Amino acid sequence: MFAPPEIYEEFRRIGQFLDRRMLISSHAGNISTRHGNKIYIKRRGAMLGDLKPEDVIETGLNDLDSSILISSTETGVHQAIYNATSHLAVVHCHPPHVVALSMIEDDITAIDAEGAFTIKRIPVVSYPHPVGAIESAIYVPPVLQNYPVVCVRSHGIFAGGVTLEEAYMYATIAEEVATIRYLTLLTGKPILTDASERGKFDIW
Amino acid sequence: MNGLHHALMRVNLNENTVTREEISEELAEQYLGGTGLGVALLCTEIPSGVDPLGPENEVIIATGPLNGTRVPTSGRFSLVTKSPLTGTIFDSNSGGFWGVWFKTCGFDALVINGKSSSPCYIAIEDQSVTIKDASECWGMDVDATTDFLISQEGKNAKVLCIGPAGENLVKIASIMNDRHRAFGRGGVGAVIGSKNLKALVVKPGKQKVIISDPESLKAFVKTAVDKIIQAPITGRSMPNFGTAGLVNVINTFGLFPINNHQAGASDLANQISGEAIRKQLLVESEACFNCPIGCGRLTKTETMNGKGPEYESVWALGAECGVFDLQQVANANYECNRLGIDTISAGVTIACAMELNQRGIADTGVNFGDGDKIIPLLRQIASREALGNELAEGSFRFASNYNSPQYAMCVKKQELPAYDPRGAQGQGLAYATSNRGGCHLRGFLVGMEILGVPKKIDRFGVAGKADILVRLQNGTRVTDSLVTCKFAEYSIGSDHLSRFLTAVTGKSYSAADLDVIGERIWNLERLFNLREGFSRTDDTLPERFMTEPFEDGPSKGVVVHLQDLLDQYYEVRGWDEMGVPTDQTLEKLSLRRLA
Repeated sequence: MFAPPEIYEEFRRIGQFLDRRMLISSHAGNISTRHGNKIYIKRRGAMLGDLKPEDVIETGLNDLDSSILISSTETGVHQAIYNATSHLAVVHCHPPHVVALSMIEDDITAIDAEGAFTIKRIPVVSYPHPVGAIESAIYVPPVLQNYPVVCVRSHGIFAGGVTLEEAYMYATIAEEVATIRYLTLLTGKPILTDASERGKFDIW
Repeated sequence: MNGLHHALMRVNLNENTVTREEISEELAEQYLGGTGLGVALLCTEIPSGVDPLGPENEVIIATGPLNGTRVPTSGRFSLVTKSPLTGTIFDSNSGGFWGVWFKTCGFDALVINGKSSSPCYIAIEDQSVTIKDASECWGMDVDATTDFLISQEGKNAKVLCIGPAGENLVKIASIMNDRHRAFGRGGVGAVIGSKNLKALVVKPGKQKVIISDPESLKAFVKTAVDKIIQAPITGRSMPNFGTAGLVNVINTFGLFPINNHQAGASDLANQISGEAIRKQLLVESEACFNCPIGCGRLTKTETMNGKGPEYESVWALGAECGVFDLQQVANANYECNRLGIDTISAGVTIACAMELNQRGIADTGVNFGDGDKIIPLLRQIASREALGNELAEGSFRFASNYNSPQYAMCVKKQELPAYDPRGAQGQGLAYATSNRGGCHLRGFLVGMEILGVPKKIDRFGVAGKADILVRLQNGTRVTDSLVTCKFAEYSIGSDHLSRFLTAVTGKSYSAADLDVIGERIWNLERLFNLREGFSRTDDTLPERFMTEPFEDGPSKGVVVHLQDLLDQYYEVRGWDEMGVPTDQTLEKLSLRRLA
């Protein structure tokens, strides 16, 4: 039921990074990787910043098994993402500036050069009960088919990648994009160079 | 679906006829074009057990929906056939301009079967395909053939042809394109030669395809070109050093094979590096159609000139044979191109002959470091004379004749490229499971394990490698079906490709949709190979990689844990323990009726 040491070590490493960068509160967020027809996912209630070997749980990609007793609350979203996309790793976290902007914008467009180069745009999806798996499993996967990051309004983001490190990278880029956008908007001054205009990100 | 002409031309060389056929919407949607289209046609059209060098074998040349558009690196095209070297289904890919010009003639694919009663070539121009006499150029090398056919067809003609190696049915013969580019691997030149077909000549036509959303395409292309130009590999390394820029990097990590894979690094590697080529040989850089990378190198030595050598060639004809004299290596590369021989297979096969001599197994008269003997051997291979006649069969058949197949560095009888899997576990699995035998272009794990693209992973680790490889393999099928260049994917990913395809075709494709298409093509290739008698036992590596660790260097002490990786791989693929796709997998991919 528990992950082999090589996989646990990667979960522990990325979990600590998410915690140190304050992309989660102490017991929030979850991360997973896909391996064929099974996935490894964080145990419910475990702290991402302090994962123990027993905190990374193996479960099926589709089949329901008893691991659901202890695996992450949002296991269903992770399963749905893997079934609908080619991602092999998923990071779910609550980056404050992304979530803040999601309250006032329908999608968060990168205006900085780095963000424009990498993710360009973070689509925002919205539904009545954003915390939990059922609606997220419906709304999140279709967006991740074509974007590395999606934000669930007033809740947090899901980022996908080939590896856990890549998914983590997209999560950090998303927060950086949102922070720069937020701070720039806060000045109330006109933007002199908007990187998003170059690539017409409205159609991306 | 836009982006295609929905037309293929069938050339029957038995009957000397050319007919036009429609490509159905369903076929285009499920297989896109290029390799995917070729695989779908070959699998349904040639019977099991066909002799690859017999008239029943087909050669399919195809472009895809992105070819000839403003999409960067969209100048490539694909060839699909059954290989005489491996006996597997085999697709090859080439660049330059031939494919784009072919598409402007109003066709997406050319399907050739039968055997001409006398030497011939195929001339293609706007909406027209003609079979012509090639008696005058039969026997000529690639340069002379190209010159001759341009004199016949006009200066604006592009020539795809074989040299003496293809005519003499050498199993490692290539088809050369524009003199120096190649459908290099698998002995595809011998397939063309077996049909008495010397060349295919194309002149630019006037037929355009419809682009559904040109404005969006323009915007997506802009972001892609920005990335390609700015990324270090595509923006700086390749334009400056070509693919040979890899030599010093791969050597530093200890997976640069030396002396028929008996070592993984050499202090002499820098002598044949991309830096050395730039300093000593480079005349100018060259790019394919609409390519912002420009990795091609026009070069000259003290006595010869031509293109390259590419990374794989400089290694195979150099380090793998213990040769580090750049002049000798470059000249051997030019000679391969002139004779129409695959540089990788030629070098590795000669290295095998060197090791058999070293071990006293066969008196081949050639030793590691004998750089002056390479070109004479290449000429013997092309003309099938003396030792060359044995080497013309490739390393596996050659070594097997001396009861020593373990010294043939190949998978499914095709010689391996320049990355020793003892320094990159995932690449070992990629070699073992490649549908066309030993190849780095059917899943380039070195990209992640060494170059860190898109993200670095532990090169000696096993966990998760199968999942990553399956994604990469599926991706290669998509790239070769669109048809674009794999090098662009050091900078852009399937998120860009899906948007390009959507804008061109008018049909909505996500990155996930492309993965499914790639998976379908990969599985169909697998079904073909299973039909031809391949099984799990063929998904393997030379014994050396699994039992003999390097004694020193950065990759010392490691062997490939292939069986563990293979079990993971089959599970991820949805295949049974013998490597056969399950019913569920076939159903998911709409392949059940073809199983």
